[in-house]
Amino acid sequence: MSAKYVLIVDDDPDLVETVSMILESKGYEVGKAYDGIEGEAAVKKRRPDVLVLDVMMPRKNGYQLCKELKADQATKSIPVVLLTAVGEAVPTTTYSHAEGMAVEAEDFIPKPVDAATLVEAVERLL
Amino acid sequence: MVSSSPLGANCLSADICAPLAHKKINLTFFTHLSGDRQVICTASEMGEAAFTQVKSRAAPGSELHLQRGTAVIAVYPHDKRPEILGTFIRSLAQARVILHGLAYSPSAITVVLSSRRVKAVVQQLFEHFYFPAFASPEEFFGAQPPPAELVQQVVATYQEKVIKVYWILPQPDLDLWGAKVSSTAILEGFANALIDLGELGLKIPFLVASPGLGGKDFLLSFSTSKAASQGDQGPEVRRILQAHLPDIRPMRLAPVAGIFLHGPHFGDRYGVVYTFLQALGRARVSLLALSCTVSSISAVLKQQELKAAMRILEETFEAPRSMAGPRPRKPTFVP
Repeated sequence: MSAKYVLIVDDDPDLVETVSMILESKGYEVGKAYDGIEGEAAVKKRRPDVLVLDVMMPRKNGYQLCKELKADQATKSIPVVLLTAVGEAVPTTTYSHAEGMAVEAEDFIPKPVDAATLVEAVERLL
Repeated sequence: MVSSSPLGANCLSADICAPLAHKKINLTFFTHLSGDRQVICTASEMGEAAFTQVKSRAAPGSELHLQRGTAVIAVYPHDKRPEILGTFIRSLAQARVILHGLAYSPSAITVVLSSRRVKAVVQQLFEHFYFPAFASPEEFFGAQPPPAELVQQVVATYQEKVIKVYWILPQPDLDLWGAKVSSTAILEGFANALIDLGELGLKIPFLVASPGLGGKDFLLSFSTSKAASQGDQGPEVRRILQAHLPDIRPMRLAPVAGIFLHGPHFGDRYGVVYTFLQALGRARVSLLALSCTVSSISAVLKQQELKAAMRILEETFEAPRSMAGPRPRKPTFVP
């Protein structure tokens, strides 16, 4: 049976590197993308078993990408874990949890992300 | 800024990082090689203030130089492969760049260069690398947000009293290589050496290159790691370096250990490296080399000090529970 494929989309390359290491050590195959547009292309190229998606990214943010994927019949069933560093209402940003709650992601994990929590979240969705 | 101090005269934490942290000056790029040299980058509007602060604390005999109009370019991931770094440096050579600094984070290579050369460098990078996110340099430049927009997205989120980090990762059993290289040799010669080192199967988890104040030479410091099945490749590394850089006298220190600290938006927050250095100072850990770039702090120290360093860092920063030690005992630097 082939390994499950997890796609990580985050504009922080060092975080992508470390999360990949953790998931690969658990036997997952990992794909990487560094912004929302690249992430969208990566999903279309190869359907992930789970998508781990950062919220605050350039070009297309995680909320936007998640909404689009959930609105598309071809991709709506891909489980999404959103990584969010945003507080409840941070006045200097354009993001909020309220918007996040409307995007139908399967799970939200606050940053800094705990390795064990992330792995649990991914395994729950597989 | 490039700073150079007489051996032993510089207290990195007190003389450089403390005043910058207290003035809330963010370090977008910072490297240090033990006993000697630092490269410090800040946002352009903070350059004069930072220079004044560091100059006011400089020890007798120190030298300090402010270089205006610089930019930082980072490419990733490098997978710690020397041939990727070598190809990157070759791109810089073909773009006729003068390096003001070069450093690694765990996944990104970062160069400090004149802002005027950015377009030429990006053009060369597209000649040598494939970037899945952008089809051309024009598309890349078109996608860059204005800096103010980036700062607005992160500024209010991280005001905690104890700095949270994603992970604190140790990596023991490294070799540390150091050498002085002429400015003319750093680009072509070192690039070719790196491409050859890639064929040995070595990984490079750490690298810093700091220019001398006269612009004539660079101090190079990099660490190599190897698979357990490989024997000592030190003699081969030395041979390759000297084949491409005939005047080089490389120094090797082994075993050393790396510590890689990664946190949310370190590149946009002040005071983090000051907290890091204060902690190591409390544990009497001697830093051999330091690189702060992108969102990471990478440090090289003597292997026998690794345990003490990990303990103090896990006490100082709030790390996720699966990789952390005891909860932090005392507050750290508070802005």
